[in-house]
Amino acid sequence: MDKWTIGKIYFGILGIVALAFGIADLLVTAGGSSFSLGLLEIPNDMFRGGWGGLVMLFAGLFYLSGLSGIKNLSEIHQFSKVVMGSILIWVVAGCDIFAMITGSIPGEEAWFNTLEGFFGTYAPPYPPAILLLPFSLAVIYYIKKGRLNE
Amino acid sequence: MKVLLMGHPNVGKSVLFNRLTGTNVTVSNYPGTTVDYTKGYMRLENKEVEVIDVPGTFSLEPKDKAEEVAVKMLKENRDAVVVCIIDSTKVERGLYLTLQIIEEGYPVVISSNMWDVAKDKNIQIDVEKLEQILGVPVVPTIAISGEGIKELVSKIKKAKSVEIETIVKKVGGET
Amino acid sequence: MELTVDKRWDLIDKISKQTVKFKKYKSTLKEVIGELTVKPLTGIPIAIAVLYGFWSVFSSFAGFFTDGFLVKLFDEHWLPWIQGAFPGGLHNWFYNLMVDVGHIQNGALVPSNSCFESFGALTSGLFVPFGVVLPAIFIFYLMMAVLEDVGYLPRLAVLVDTVLHKIGLHGYAIVPTILGFGCNVPAVTATRILETRKQRFLMMTLLGIFIPCGAQLGIMQEVIPEYMGLIILYLLFGYFVTGFILNKVFPGKTPEILIDVPPYQKPLTRNVMTKVWVRLSGFLKIAVPFVILGCLIVGVMYLTGTMDWLANLFGPIFTHWFGVPKETVGPLVAAFMRKDLAVAQLSAIEMTKYQMVTSVVLVSIYFPCLATFAMILKEGGKELLGALAVLVASTFIYGGLIHLIWILLGVA
Ligand SMILES: Nc1nc2c(ncn2[C@@H]2O[C@H](COP(=O)(O)OP(=O)(O)OP(=O)(O)O)[C@@H](O)[C@H]2O)c(=O)[nH]1
Ligand SMILES: [Mg+2]
Repeated sequence: MDKWTIGKIYFGILGIVALAFGIADLLVTAGGSSFSLGLLEIPNDMFRGGWGGLVMLFAGLFYLSGLSGIKNLSEIHQFSKVVMGSILIWVVAGCDIFAMITGSIPGEEAWFNTLEGFFGTYAPPYPPAILLLPFSLAVIYYIKKGRLNE
Repeated sequence: MKVLLMGHPNVGKSVLFNRLTGTNVTVSNYPGTTVDYTKGYMRLENKEVEVIDVPGTFSLEPKDKAEEVAVKMLKENRDAVVVCIIDSTKVERGLYLTLQIIEEGYPVVISSNMWDVAKDKNIQIDVEKLEQILGVPVVPTIAISGEGIKELVSKIKKAKSVEIETIVKKVGGET
Repeated sequence: MELTVDKRWDLIDKISKQTVKFKKYKSTLKEVIGELTVKPLTGIPIAIAVLYGFWSVFSSFAGFFTDGFLVKLFDEHWLPWIQGAFPGGLHNWFYNLMVDVGHIQNGALVPSNSCFESFGALTSGLFVPFGVVLPAIFIFYLMMAVLEDVGYLPRLAVLVDTVLHKIGLHGYAIVPTILGFGCNVPAVTATRILETRKQRFLMMTLLGIFIPCGAQLGIMQEVIPEYMGLIILYLLFGYFVTGFILNKVFPGKTPEILIDVPPYQKPLTRNVMTKVWVRLSGFLKIAVPFVILGCLIVGVMYLTGTMDWLANLFGPIFTHWFGVPKETVGPLVAAFMRKDLAVAQLSAIEMTKYQMVTSVVLVSIYFPCLATFAMILKEGGKELLGALAVLVASTFIYGGLIHLIWILLGVA
C-alpha cells in the first residue's frame, strides 16, 4: 500500500471518530448532564459542548468529504479538505487547552492556585478534541510529503 | 514638493507611507482600510517633503466617499509628484489608474509593489520595457520588507510628466 | 490629452502584452484552502469555527485577568483601602461621588463591598475601564487585528453577500459591522466604502443601534455571561429586521459589486502590535475619561434627586411597556456616555433574568454612545435625523416586543 492509501484509511477512521464525537457532544449538551468514560469527558455546556461539538462534527465531515469520490487524496482540492478537518480540530482543542491554562493559574480566594490545583487541571479526563489532537497532527506529514512531490 | 501615494485599494499604499514617514497608519489585508487622507513628512536630499496617503481608488471617477477623498486630494495637489502603486499581480488593472493620472499631466513614478507575490505566482514583468514604453521610472518593491524602497525614493525626483500620445506611439500604432 | 475608456483599455492591452508574462504555475495548498473559505458549503462551517475560536479565547483570556486577578485587586484591596483613606464618609456628598454611594441594608446605609455597587468615580470609574474592559478589548483587538491581517474579512464578505442584499447592503457591509464590534466610531467612518447614500444611512443607523462594541461585550462577558448569547441574538435579529424594513421603506438601489478577495497572508507581528496599541491608546485617551465623567454625572443626578424624578417620570413606560424596573433609568443615562458603564450599573440592580436581558438590550439600542453620535453627525450630517427617528421607533417597538415575548412565554 502506498502512503496515500494508508492516509485514506487513516483519515477515514479519524473522520468517523470526529463525527461521532461531534454528535455525542451535541447529544450530551441536549441531554443536560455531562458524560465521562475513561479518558474521555464530554462537558455539558452550551458553549463548548454545543457550539464546539458542532465544529467537531464539521471537522468529521471535512475529513470524510476529502476522502469521498473517485479522486485521489493526493489531489490538492481533496487533500485541502482533510487539512481543514485537522485545522478545525486544532481550533477546538486549542481553545480547550487555552481555557485549561487560563483556568489553572489564578486561585479561588488567593492570588494564585495551589500547586496541586494547578496540576490537577491538566489531569485526565479530557474533552474529545484534545484526545483527537495528536491523531490529527498526521496531516502535517502529508503536507510535507505533498510539497516534496511537486 | 509634495508626494502623493495613489493606487487601487489594498496594494500597499499605507505600508509604503508608514515606511517613508515613520508613522503608524492602519494597515490591513482588505480593500478599503484607509478612508481618509493622512499627511506625513519624509526627508529627501535633506529637505522635508510632504507625503500624503489616500484611500485606494480604482479610477478618477469616484464610486464612493472614500474614492472621492482620493480624487479630491489629487485635484487639490496639482504640484505633487504622484507615486502610483500597482499590484504586480494585477498590472493591467493598475495601469488604468496610472494612465489616467499621466493623462492629467502629473509627474509619475510607478512602484510595482507585491513583487514577492507576483514572483510566487510566476508572473514575469519586464520592468525595463515598461519604463521605456511609459517613459516614467518603474521600481519593483516589496513594501512590507522594504525591498526597493530606497530605489523608489531615489527615483522620485526623476519623475516626469509624459504625453499620452508618446506612449501610444511607442507601443506601436493607433489606439 | 485624455483617452476614452475604450482606447485606454486598448492601450493597456498592448502595453501588458509586451511587458507581462503569466508563466505556468500550480495552485498551492494555501490558495485551495482560501477557496474553501469562500464557498458557502465549506465556508459557513469554517466561519462558525472561526467565531467559536474567537469567542472561546476572548472569554478565557478576559476571565483570566478580570476574575482571576483584577476583581480581587479592586474589591479586596483597592475598595477597602480608599473607603478608609478618602476623607468624609457615606454621608458626605463628595465621598459619595468619588468613592461610594453605599446601599441600604435592613434600613441602614452600609458601605458597598464591590466596585460594581459603589458607583464612585475612583472605584467603579476605574474598575470598569481598567479592571474589566481593558483586558477584554486587548484580546478582542488582538484577534481582530490578526483576522484583518490574514485577509479573512473579504472572504466573510463574499459569504454573507446574499444575506446582506436582503437588507439593502452588500457583502462588503460586513467590514463596518465587524469593525463596529470593536468600536462603533471607526466603523461609522468605514461606511465611506459603501456606494450610495441610502447604503451609508442604513449602515450607520444599524451600527449605531444594534451593534454592541467591544467594551460592552467585555463587561457583559463579566457580569452576565449566561445571557450573552440571547442578548446578541436579539441584537442581530433586530439588525436584520430593521435593515429589511428600512430597505423597503427608503428608495434607492443596491448596486452589485465585485468583492476583491486578496490572498491570505501571514500576519506581521509588528503590524498587529502597532494596530492593537493604536486602538488601545485610543480607548485610554477617550473612553476612560468618559467613564469617569459618566460616573460623576450619574452620581450628581442621584444626589440632586434628578434621577428619582426621571425614574418617576418614565417609570410607567419602564414597568408597563418594557417590563423592567424603573431604576434602569440611571444606567440609561450612563449609556449616553458609555455602554460599558451602563451595563456595569445595571448589574447592581436587582431584577429577574428576563428583565436583565431586556434592559441590556435597551441600553444597547436606545442611543449610540456620545462618541459614536458625534461621528455619525460628522459623517452623515442630515442623515442623523433619520437615524434618530429610526432609533426612537425601534427602541420602543423592539423593547416592547421583547417584553411581549417574555409575557407570551409566561416568564415576565
Ligand atoms: N506580500 C506582500 N504584501 C504586501 C506588500 N505590500 C503590502 N502588503 C500587504 O497588503 C495589505 C494591504 O496593505 P495596505 O498598505 O493596507 O494597503 P492600502 O493600499 O493602503 O489599502 P487601502 O487603504 O485599503 O486602499 C497588507 O496586509 C500588507 O501587509 C508587499 O509588497 N508584499
Ligand atoms: Mg491604506
